[in-house]
Amino acid sequence: MSIVTRELNGVHFFEINDELTIYTAAMMKQELQDLLSKQDELEISLEKVSDIDSAGVQILILLHQQAEKKGKALRFIKHNRQVIDVLETLNLEAFFGDPIVLPAKEFEYA
Amino acid sequence: MLDDTKKIFIQESEELLEQMENALLEMEQVPDDAEHLNSVFRAIHTIKGAAGIFGFDAIVAFTHPVESVMDNVRNGIRLVDPDLVALLLKCKDHTANLVESISDGQEDISEALLEAGQTLLDELNPEQKSGALDVVKNKRENIEVSDRKNASDDNWVISLDFKSDALRNGLDPLSFINYLKRMGEIVEIITFTHDFPCWEDMEPESCYLSFRIALLSSASKEEIKSVFEFAMDDCELRIIPPRSELEKYLALLEELTGEELNKLGELLIQVGALTEQELSNALQVQSSVLSDDAATQEVKPLGEILVEQHVVSKGVVDKAVEKQESIREKIAQETQYIRVDADRLGQLINLVGELVISNAAVKLLVEKHDLADVQEVVNGVEGLVENIRDHALQLRMVQIGDTFSRFRRVVRDVSKDLNKDVELVITGGEAELDKTVVEKINDPLTHLVRNSLDHGFETPEERVAQGKPKKGVLRLNALHDSGHIVIQIADDGAGLDTKKIRKKAEEKGLIYAGQELSHREILRLIFEPGLTTKDTASNISGRGVGMDVVKRNIDALRGSIEVDSERGKGTLVTIHLPLTLAIIEGFMVGVEKERFVIPLSMVEECVEMDTNEWHLDKNSHYVNLRGQVMPYIKLSEFFGVNYQHGRRGRESLVVVRVGRAKAGIVVDRLFGELQTVIKPLGKVFQGLKGVSGATVLGSGDIALILDVQGLIGLASAKASDVKTLESV
Amino acid sequence: MNDLAIAENNNDPYGLGGVVMDDAYQFLTFSVLGKLMAIGILDVKEIIEVSSMTRVPMTQNSIRGVINLRGNVVPVVDLGARLGSHVIKLTKKSCIVLVSLAFHGETQTMGILVEQVNEILSIPEQNRQKPPDFGTDIDSKFISQIGRYEDDFIILLNKEKVLCVEELSDQIVAAQSSLCVYK
Repeated sequence: MSIVTRELNGVHFFEINDELTIYTAAMMKQELQDLLSKQDELEISLEKVSDIDSAGVQILILLHQQAEKKGKALRFIKHNRQVIDVLETLNLEAFFGDPIVLPAKEFEYA
Repeated sequence: MLDDTKKIFIQESEELLEQMENALLEMEQVPDDAEHLNSVFRAIHTIKGAAGIFGFDAIVAFTHPVESVMDNVRNGIRLVDPDLVALLLKCKDHTANLVESISDGQEDISEALLEAGQTLLDELNPEQKSGALDVVKNKRENIEVSDRKNASDDNWVISLDFKSDALRNGLDPLSFINYLKRMGEIVEIITFTHDFPCWEDMEPESCYLSFRIALLSSASKEEIKSVFEFAMDDCELRIIPPRSELEKYLALLEELTGEELNKLGELLIQVGALTEQELSNALQVQSSVLSDDAATQEVKPLGEILVEQHVVSKGVVDKAVEKQESIREKIAQETQYIRVDADRLGQLINLVGELVISNAAVKLLVEKHDLADVQEVVNGVEGLVENIRDHALQLRMVQIGDTFSRFRRVVRDVSKDLNKDVELVITGGEAELDKTVVEKINDPLTHLVRNSLDHGFETPEERVAQGKPKKGVLRLNALHDSGHIVIQIADDGAGLDTKKIRKKAEEKGLIYAGQELSHREILRLIFEPGLTTKDTASNISGRGVGMDVVKRNIDALRGSIEVDSERGKGTLVTIHLPLTLAIIEGFMVGVEKERFVIPLSMVEECVEMDTNEWHLDKNSHYVNLRGQVMPYIKLSEFFGVNYQHGRRGRESLVVVRVGRAKAGIVVDRLFGELQTVIKPLGKVFQGLKGVSGATVLGSGDIALILDVQGLIGLASAKASDVKTLESV
Repeated sequence: MNDLAIAENNNDPYGLGGVVMDDAYQFLTFSVLGKLMAIGILDVKEIIEVSSMTRVPMTQNSIRGVINLRGNVVPVVDLGARLGSHVIKLTKKSCIVLVSLAFHGETQTMGILVEQVNEILSIPEQNRQKPPDFGTDIDSKFISQIGRYEDDFIILLNKEKVLCVEELSDQIVAAQSSLCVYK
């Protein structure tokens, strides 16, 4: 499993622990779909996303849209630097509407 | 703002606004549905972004606060209520109005529209209302200032649509965009998400990404293009240059000199508006539409393809094309047409003609058997057939301009040969007429033009001596007049010498010495065979074959020709021609058992004749019609009709008009209007005057079509013979 | 006619389609001005009954009128008036023989009005001779040969001359201009 599951106060917390690229897109779609079908409220951490490309971004966009459609609360959290860069490059932060919190260390860097 | 940018923006905005409206309407039912909320937010967000990219400040200014409100709603800071939804709908409408005002080509948004926008924004943010207009204005100005960079015209706008196989082919759109950053600053980027598939249909390895990017860069188009070099096969790329770049192209085009204007593509590459890659793509498209017999086909002009592909803006192409010969532009227009074999069109028109006849036959039968219920259907069919006929005929209509234009060369060459200085002025070239007619007037027109150049115009020296401008003017004009086309050939030359014409006519025995003739009658003599006023025959015209041939040609087309001339001032030849030779709107009359068709366009009115009132006697052939003396032709007498059972009923007078002249035709019966196919009578009857053709009636019988002009000519010839004999 | 297959149909009432003999010797005979005349069978397109014919005014007598032949207008020459001065009186037996001829590269179909169509005869070359220079009351230019069949002499017509478009056309013009002269 590339997605690690934890639960805290009834909110399911998931962590993508793999790359989010064309190579994993098919598998990710399947796994995320399973998750979404089971949960009504979920947070997905992007902290451990080791690599992300356009295919990965597409998956995130579609998952977000699907969640809305199904009336489920989906939040992406803990974006790592690479994910933030990609979302910034594509001007997609507003689309997801998730608060992006910069990790403290990096923030100091910046 | 550029046409291309506008088009892309307007189209995309319209789609988004529609989505927004649908979502808002859903929200009225289910106020806090997250999907619809987000949908509205995304729509307004994307419109704002796109407006920023394309530089529509006013839209950015309006949509930004709306987006903020939606963001608050989305984040639960503001609650959705029906009032808000209604207001948002108004905002959507207002945005649509703004977009529309752009598509209308207005550079500046009208004051009224801005005011309306402010009112909406005030309503949207009631807490700010106390701050009144100034706050909003300030805010708007701030946005405008902060967005100035985005909105400036000096950004390249890159439209990047990846094809679905892009990812599978190993491309990562993201990396191209990252690479693009090296070229300059990405001022704004929109990732299009609104036309993604639904989750279930999504193939993870297909690419659904489209981007609109505003790039501030000093790079050339070729350089920007090179970023996407490896993605060429997997994406649709359009690069729209910033305005300054555009101005550069235009300036460069302006500066180019003549010999460099051969190929449009090379021209555009030369100024940097087009890349080699784009050119070869476009050329490929161009050549792919060519079939084997390429030589005979019209090739779609490159410029058009480039504009279609949004590779080069129309303004630049137009400029380039404008630089080229005007003919080039014409080809671009002609390619909007389908080329059809003239024979096939002819077949279609013939068939439609048969259809008209058959329909008349059906109508006849229905009337005969008094089938009221069928009647209605038949009337419907008749309307359709008429429509089809009109449209079929319309297909064969061509503008006369092309025919006229050919004379430019003739005028140039001939006047040069004759050492004359003549300018050709063409007007009314857009007047349309049947191609079959056009083909047949070329010869007569050539003759008339040559005649005018040869006989009409004086040499420049003579002209100057007479106080005329050195350069003579030959005018070709065309216009429509009551179902006919009128063609005029006018020159400001020497005019016709009536004395000379008279003398020649007397020599030839065409008229008697001392015969009384009006100015117009004398002029008309030039259409008689064997008459030319030129003392020496030249190779341009004037061997005594000429005007009579012209007249015969025009007559054969059911047309008429008139000449007017004033010595020293010039000559005007006016030709009336029917628009088509195939079908005629006619008025059917009867004499005894025979039926005749008079072209409807010539019929002025019909009057029932009361013999007591009209005092018709055998010797004078004119009537007093409301105080007007009008000559008439009694068709039964003229055509030598034998009445088998004596004449019955009251006769009718059909008043016809030919040019300025009016005349009456006396007939036994009026059958009314009909539309009918003209059938040629055949070569045997080619010299027959007074009858121009025949038509097959619904009954299968033939009715002859009267050549009114010819009839009047015959009647007046008869009358003048009478006069001549009486005067001798 | 006994040895001919007779196909009864309106367009082909004389069974011309069924001719089996050597066509070059075949002639369609008809009566005009009380004389037997004929034209080569190969020149005959069709024979039709006289139904409705439209007179064309201001023309000479030899132009009998025009007919509607399946939507096309075909001029009909009155053979009696063309060869002599007797306009043919229309009877039940009157027929129009349709002939096509080339005119300036176009095919022109013309009708010949005759009093009666008789039969198809085989007249071999040896039974044909040059027309006499005089002795007939028909202009010899219209006659290509005189054929002999049993005891009858048959005038074999020269269709190019009989149906000469230029001549007929000139005559029309002449006839029309004579109308316009005060009489």
